[in-house]
Amino acid sequence: MWAYTGKRLLQGVLTVWFIATATFIAMHNVPGDPLMNDKAVSTAIRANLEAKYGLDRAVFPDQYLIYLGNMVRGDFGISFTQQNRLVNDIIREHFPVSATLGILAVLFAALGGILWGALTALYRNRLPDIVIMFLVILGISVPSFVFAALGQLGLVQLNGLFGRQVLPVAGWGSVGHMLVPSLVLGLSTMAFLTRLMRSSMLEIVNADFIRTANAKGLPPTRIFLKHQLRNAILPVITVLGPAIAAITTGGFVVELVFAIPGLGRYFVEAVQQLDYTVIMGTTVFYGAFLVLMVIVVDLIYGFIDPRVRLE
Amino acid sequence: MAESTIATGSVKASDFAPLAAGRSAETISRPSLSYWQDAWRRLKDNRRALISLYIVVGLLLLTLVGPFIWTMDPALQDLDQVSQPPFADRSATIAAPYSSWDTSDVAPSADGLAVIEPPTSQSVRLSWESIPGSSGGYRIYRNIFPIGPERALGLPLGDVFGGAPRFFEDRLDLEPRTYYYSVVALDENQRETTAFLQRTIDVRRVITAKEAIDKGLAEDTLPVGAELRLTAHPLGTDYLGRDLLARLMHGARTSLFIGIFAPILYVLIGISVGSIAGFAGGRLDQLLMRFADFVVALPFLLFMIVFKIAFGIGPGESGIFPMLIAMVILLWPATARLVRGQILSIKNQGYVEASKLLGASSGYLIGRHMIPNTLGVILVTLTFAVPSAIFTEAFLSFIGMGVAPPTPSWGSMCNEGLKTMLTTPHELIFPALFISITVLAFNLLGDGLRDALDARMRSRE
Amino acid sequence: MSDPLLSVSNLKVEFDTYGGVVKAVRGVDFEVAAGETLAIVGESGCGKSVTVQSIMGLIPMPPGRITSGSALFRGSEIIGSSQVDGRELRGSEVGMIFQDPMTSLNPTMKIGEQIAETLVVHRGMSNRDALSRAVELLDRVRIPEPQQRAEQYPFEFSGGMLQRAMIATAIACEPSLLIADEPTTALDVTIQAQILDLMKELQRSTDMAIILITHDLGVVARMADHVAVMYAGEVVETGTATDVFYASGHPYTHGLRAAMPTNDPEHQQSLSPIDGSPPDLFAPPPGCGYCARCPHAVSLCADQPPPEFQLGEGHAVSCWQHHEAAPNPPAELMGQTAAGTAR
Repeated sequence: MWAYTGKRLLQGVLTVWFIATATFIAMHNVPGDPLMNDKAVSTAIRANLEAKYGLDRAVFPDQYLIYLGNMVRGDFGISFTQQNRLVNDIIREHFPVSATLGILAVLFAALGGILWGALTALYRNRLPDIVIMFLVILGISVPSFVFAALGQLGLVQLNGLFGRQVLPVAGWGSVGHMLVPSLVLGLSTMAFLTRLMRSSMLEIVNADFIRTANAKGLPPTRIFLKHQLRNAILPVITVLGPAIAAITTGGFVVELVFAIPGLGRYFVEAVQQLDYTVIMGTTVFYGAFLVLMVIVVDLIYGFIDPRVRLE
Repeated sequence: MAESTIATGSVKASDFAPLAAGRSAETISRPSLSYWQDAWRRLKDNRRALISLYIVVGLLLLTLVGPFIWTMDPALQDLDQVSQPPFADRSATIAAPYSSWDTSDVAPSADGLAVIEPPTSQSVRLSWESIPGSSGGYRIYRNIFPIGPERALGLPLGDVFGGAPRFFEDRLDLEPRTYYYSVVALDENQRETTAFLQRTIDVRRVITAKEAIDKGLAEDTLPVGAELRLTAHPLGTDYLGRDLLARLMHGARTSLFIGIFAPILYVLIGISVGSIAGFAGGRLDQLLMRFADFVVALPFLLFMIVFKIAFGIGPGESGIFPMLIAMVILLWPATARLVRGQILSIKNQGYVEASKLLGASSGYLIGRHMIPNTLGVILVTLTFAVPSAIFTEAFLSFIGMGVAPPTPSWGSMCNEGLKTMLTTPHELIFPALFISITVLAFNLLGDGLRDALDARMRSRE
Repeated sequence: MSDPLLSVSNLKVEFDTYGGVVKAVRGVDFEVAAGETLAIVGESGCGKSVTVQSIMGLIPMPPGRITSGSALFRGSEIIGSSQVDGRELRGSEVGMIFQDPMTSLNPTMKIGEQIAETLVVHRGMSNRDALSRAVELLDRVRIPEPQQRAEQYPFEFSGGMLQRAMIATAIACEPSLLIADEPTTALDVTIQAQILDLMKELQRSTDMAIILITHDLGVVARMADHVAVMYAGEVVETGTATDVFYASGHPYTHGLRAAMPTNDPEHQQSLSPIDGSPPDLFAPPPGCGYCARCPHAVSLCADQPPPEFQLGEGHAVSCWQHHEAAPNPPAELMGQTAAGTAR
């Protein structure tokens, strides 16, 4: 297990290096000089930046090595458009918001997916199954920003119906602010996981060991909980890594629509203003975060599935 | 066990004539179908998939043929009809050209807020005597919703000081609809008091005879007061007065172009890399697959954005090709892995070994065994790749990172529609509906194809 | 024979499938008494497993369906009785083991727990007691270091070990009947013998009955007291093992024997396979199911299903050649054994 963890971490570090390098190459191919941008970089900042990033020196290897060194030290630099603001500060301030939103959304998606999926399998081809699978197909086919818009519309209607603010329509701060945005954010992933859970359940219904459990004369609830459900959840856990990635980037849209001060919204703003250091810093940070999440999910899976744990 | 209805006693020796030897032990009662015939039969039996196939064909027709039937220019702004919902009233009355309001002959109004002259989309002319408690002047408001108990008065139009009777002319973006005007008394410090007058006014749409001819709505100069109908917009117009149907059809070109060509391109690259890796094996295989692993680890949407910035969009460019290239760069590894896996597993199949032993060339092996056996899987991958590519385009356009305006795409139309979601929801609903139906159709078609092409994949979802 | 423990008569099972209705079991009778072993023999797809699984309520319904028949366990009907009764029978009165031990155990549950589960449910034992009993059972089926083994997962076991664990689960509640559905098919030959010996030994010490489903005549010869030969959803020949082996009355039984290798040097001959394949059970033939492959088929066989003919005490065969009107019945079917029967 320790060797496995070590190996996965090493792979993760290599992957993050690749992400950082790809970001560096991509951003250095941007047409024009990033500092010639009309977004009014003052001469003082300009001189600082040139010194810090070695912009007067060759791109490769000098600038690249400086860049990698900064990344290793966790120094993402200074924002080009917001004077005196460190990218690290931006991340530190706004990432917890995105993370809270994301964690809630992943929880919604995973719990909902497992619950609905198990329910559909249990009521296969009967009304609950048909209704839920119809909703699942909707959930997979409707873009996330439409859900976000509908969610906001729903909040407006809700507040109008009660004649007072039941839940805030936008912004951030209280639990009330988090509820609808995280639900909206988790919705399509929930639909996807429901589908996966359903097919996994149906596959296991026909498994030999379920027949054995029946041959042992176990009560149906026991078979369902201890034999079917537990094994059916495993494939759902394996896709949680990619699901977290999808939810994280999906957060951009939800943060935009609900005016939530998360890192995603900042990233989009930085992109629109071509704030290079913020773009590079956030990209590498998000990349590293997602790589870490995938590793964590893998390790959790190993913990749950004895076959992986003991290899 | 003996279920025979005849009594055994009735059996005669003549019943024991030996049956001819060498009779066929097996009769094949079911018709033999080729792989593709069988797949097509199964797909035809799947109603959902078949309907989806029709929808996909319909969408392609809409994209390719639609603009030749509905020839409206998607960039043309019809400023008489801005943000109009589908089937909106498009009648208009010919009016004289606008002339400024001569207020000298306005008679004092007896009952509060009065409308002088019929209210039209050219101007709304209001007049009132005075409001008790007013000492500084009046502020005029206009709302598109009824003024409720919380006194939401809407848009402040202007202040009026002095004069009796007082009058105010509104010419600000008037549309043919119901407005709720109110006049609030101000105190000597120009602060609003609680005293106010209000009036509900239905505005009629008017255009001048000259405008009617310029827009091709009339041949000759029409007399003032004549009725005519404005240009039809079956699905309404957007916030700039552009025809939604035309924009949806041209947007479909963008969205479906990316949605279909990006997957074809990266699947083709994936097939090439995957088959090279699968066939060559050894170091080259290792190298290619390691690289694919790294590319897979790149956070997709993030790098779509980073690559888009890196390619840049020059003036007058639509940004479709940078998006296409970014998708290809990021998405080929999945197909490459799939194809490599398929080739490796087919390579070790008995029938391929047998074929090799019988002296088949590699060309024959590829043509006869590898391609037909991977084609189904590739086709299914391709079908599922289309909706995700459409989603990607929509997502990027929605956050403003997609195709550059004025090129329409379903995603960018959603982005524009979101801003007016509360007042004119159709601007968001139509493009969102098109995205959803397209994605739904391709997803269901993919499900159907997978079931039809590969029975083994059926239980996996 | 004393009163049978389980007696099945005229059992018919159908399945609704994509292509139509499959008549998988078409009127099957057999019985098994305490302490004896009945082997049900036949090739793949002949309905052996469906027969016993449908009796024990293990066939998913739908698509499966028992259209007629009865199964008396200790004299009381179990077909059509409520689910709960069937459940009380399974695991406690009837233990079962299956073909592939690798997939027949829950991969995410410890072996000990899986054995103990039966005891908790049927005997109302506490988890702790059940677990210590499970260790004893593992010891009983000759698994070394049972204490540690009980704490392991199925993937840590070999195939033979897993089948032993399956047997331990099946006998946990000391059942009076053990149904073994191809218990050795997925195992190495050397392991097969060990498993069969284990079953024999358990039978001797507990006097339980065994229904052994197999296509391997070697296993039958080693284990069975009585044999039922099934073909195309029907029992074509029943009798004691000796009767069926040494005085086979049905051409199919003969065909099976001729297709079986022997290690008797005096009777070495080339194996002769049975040509053709079993009939399509979507549309079973109107007459004898074996007619199309039978070397002795006559015109009657194609049209009329053969009734059961008693050849001796408890030895019954469904073949027209045993009819008294048959002009020249083949000698090899008449009990006067030809070459190759003495083993």
